[in-house]
Amino acid sequence: MAMTETTSRSFTERLEPYIAIIGPMVMILAILVFMGIVEPTRYFRTTNLNLILLDAALYMPMAMAMTFVITQRGIDLSIGSIAALSGIIMAFLIKQYGVSVYIAVPIAISLGAVMGLINGLIITRFNVPDLIGTLAMDLVYRGFALVLAKGLVLARFPDFLTDIGRGQIPGFVPIPVLIGLATMIAGYFILHRSYFGRYTVAIGSNPEAAELTGISVNRHKVYAYVLCGACAALAGVMLTGKLNAIQATSAPYFNLHVIAAVVVGGTSLFGGRAAIVGSLAGVLLLSMMINALVTLRIEFFWQSVASGVVIISSVALYTWMQKKDRDGAGGLMAGLNTPEGKKMLRFCAALIGVLIALLAVGLLTAGNPNPSG
Amino acid sequence: MSEPLVKMRGITKRFGGVTALSNVDLDAHAGEVLAIVGDNGAGKSTLIKVLTGVYQPSSGEIMLDGRPVAFSNHAEAIEEGIDAVYQTLALADHLDPAANMFLGNELTRKIFGITMLDNKRMRAETERVLMERLGVKLKSLDAPTESLSGGQRQAVAIARAVYHDGLRVLVMDEPTAALGPQETARTLKLIEAVKAQGLAVILISHSLDDVFQVSDRIHVQRRGQCVGVVKTAESNITEVLGMIVGAEEAA
Repeated sequence: MAMTETTSRSFTERLEPYIAIIGPMVMILAILVFMGIVEPTRYFRTTNLNLILLDAALYMPMAMAMTFVITQRGIDLSIGSIAALSGIIMAFLIKQYGVSVYIAVPIAISLGAVMGLINGLIITRFNVPDLIGTLAMDLVYRGFALVLAKGLVLARFPDFLTDIGRGQIPGFVPIPVLIGLATMIAGYFILHRSYFGRYTVAIGSNPEAAELTGISVNRHKVYAYVLCGACAALAGVMLTGKLNAIQATSAPYFNLHVIAAVVVGGTSLFGGRAAIVGSLAGVLLLSMMINALVTLRIEFFWQSVASGVVIISSVALYTWMQKKDRDGAGGLMAGLNTPEGKKMLRFCAALIGVLIALLAVGLLTAGNPNPSG
Repeated sequence: MSEPLVKMRGITKRFGGVTALSNVDLDAHAGEVLAIVGDNGAGKSTLIKVLTGVYQPSSGEIMLDGRPVAFSNHAEAIEEGIDAVYQTLALADHLDPAANMFLGNELTRKIFGITMLDNKRMRAETERVLMERLGVKLKSLDAPTESLSGGQRQAVAIARAVYHDGLRVLVMDEPTAALGPQETARTLKLIEAVKAQGLAVILISHSLDDVFQVSDRIHVQRRGQCVGVVKTAESNITEVLGMIVGAEEAA
């Protein structure tokens, strides 16, 4: 008995550093096996795999940057709007002012960096919590994009831009995939080999300790948001190129999608644990999942449900694995037998009972249907 | 005894209307352990925070090696060779010991003109400093710091302070507060090792057992004032306890 306990514990201990990679890898494998059985011909076509990579490439730069922000115990909910706004401004510069595309793209990325800087300064100087601060700035940036574009769709851009967004090196992977992977590799080196990366982990792990050892916590937080803004703008450029069009309402699901990818990859929402390779795996996993839903002809809107479920389950799983002491837990259902558990159970039952009763009354007393359209 | 390394004279610190320290003198000599004891709110922490530059005194002066010094922040105190190991140790648990030891002070090397962290050299240096100066050998330098025992974490925190060559005064704030008997013994051994290298160690502790085991002199604080300094060898726990609670006064 004691023997098995020690071996199993040391096994999980040895496993722990790699869990960040193993988690998404297992899920990727599960999708591959499932699709291999259900729909192998359409899912594993080269064109489809290309499509998956093309979709994933868009999220890679943002996932890399978001890994740093989340590792610092922060969050950035404005990346979708930053991508849209910098894309719109770039489009206007090219279409209306005749600015060269080779200058407009760097301008867009710097604009994104400036928007990230504003986020960072709001959070560090005005002490607005990151959740509220970036959520509010998301509204602001989206609002500016809507004001500027006035509902227009700007389309047909120079080749350089479409190359960035969907160019293909013959017989090899698409150009955006190369860009995405390059940002991931850069992120890996920044995390492990730069002051910024080291301090990012330190700040997320123990902000007071970081402050005491003389690290400028606020400055490095601002750096992370600037990186996030710049990468969001890069994604905006890639999106514009990919669609060869941009409008103010583009990139609506970026925020949660990117956060999901990062969290699924094993970066801790509670800070201090960063996994760039995990974020890459997370991005691939989400793209594969969404593509699988499309391949299976499941309605597009289900992907929102799927993303949410993936976030919740992976965070819950990591939290559970973090808990070292599982003695006396006695299985999943044991909690229901405690007095507290019973109260909760009664409360849930009452709430659902009320809902069912109301539904029953509503349906019983229902008159003729009255279609809204 | 020779001229003290640290001489604090007439230190007063007020926070608004509250006087946390009034007219406190403190001497610390190189190669000795000075313990500061006192009840909660006696001004121990405020006193060492003044010494380490976290707080600035309302009045009074600090002499280091006979030279008056004034620190406007903690970094300036570190520059002058005064550093502190806090009760919380200020370690980032997710980083490995080497990263923690060099936190805020990383070693770098240049590759193609780009400055990068030199993780390999930091690891070698950590191993060396832990072994040579503290006599500690960690089983693994790869594991995150959270997996280390209390005493080992303490060693990493102390190693970070003593790595600075100019370090002359090491302040330790409640180093044994959260430790069991065995880890406490190890930490006290670490303090002895630091003292043997000629540093002045200032130890703040609630545990009089630890204080009597490791210190040379004891500085007793009560209600923001120094009520006496005794030589450890010539005193006993009852006497020091009496000074802490002010027994003579009550009687």
